[in-house]
Amino acid sequence: MILDLLQKKNIAVNVEAADWKEVVAETGKLLLEAGQIEKRYIEAMKQSIIDNGPYVVIGKGIALLHARPEDGVKENCLSLITLAEPVEFGNKNNDPVKIAFAFGTVDNEKHVKTISELSVVLMEESAVDNIAEMGSAGEILSYIEDILAQQ
Amino acid sequence: MRVLAVCGMGLGSSLVLKMNIEKIMEQEGIEGSVEVKDLSSIMGEQADYIFASEEIGEKIEHPAEVISVKNMTDKKEIKEKVLAAYKKL
Repeated sequence: MILDLLQKKNIAVNVEAADWKEVVAETGKLLLEAGQIEKRYIEAMKQSIIDNGPYVVIGKGIALLHARPEDGVKENCLSLITLAEPVEFGNKNNDPVKIAFAFGTVDNEKHVKTISELSVVLMEESAVDNIAEMGSAGEILSYIEDILAQQ
Repeated sequence: MRVLAVCGMGLGSSLVLKMNIEKIMEQEGIEGSVEVKDLSSIMGEQADYIFASEEIGEKIEHPAEVISVKNMTDKKEIKEKVLAAYKKL
């Protein structure tokens, strides 16, 4: 479940990032500091964008960052940053990015429920803009909780 | 209607896309299945349609029609594209 994984330690608001690589580094840092990934996972997330293009910007203003289980995931995890200033990823439809999620999964199945709930939240009208404006992790978590409770 | 949702690794964006396509199919009473795949494993898979982001869609070579989605969290865009695809079947 998303709220079991996304805890206050995994959220940072109003983060400064100069470019997309810093967005990946900052989002990944929250997982690294929590001991949930190895450092190489952050590089793998960057490499995946270099290899596959900026389609990680899945919707307006939102990046969903990840690499593969074998790239150094210690446990299933999810982090979120909101950006002080929006950042261009080079995605022609959905730039600039205002919020970024990073996740790690130990296999190809265990994250399915989490991503399913996350997509419910992100499909909600103006969810990305609302989250981007929020001033604290606590506020974001109760907002997500409210959306999921309505389902 | 059998759909493949495809992205580079078959873990992230394709999964979001699958969830959102399934939701629309359920709401509209369209029967079928949506399966997540990564780019390297779609060859030989049977499908009516392949849904993917524009960047990934351009790289796909498959007999099924490829439908590009600009914004995977936009209910309206996905609904229009799912319904149009269903009508063409």
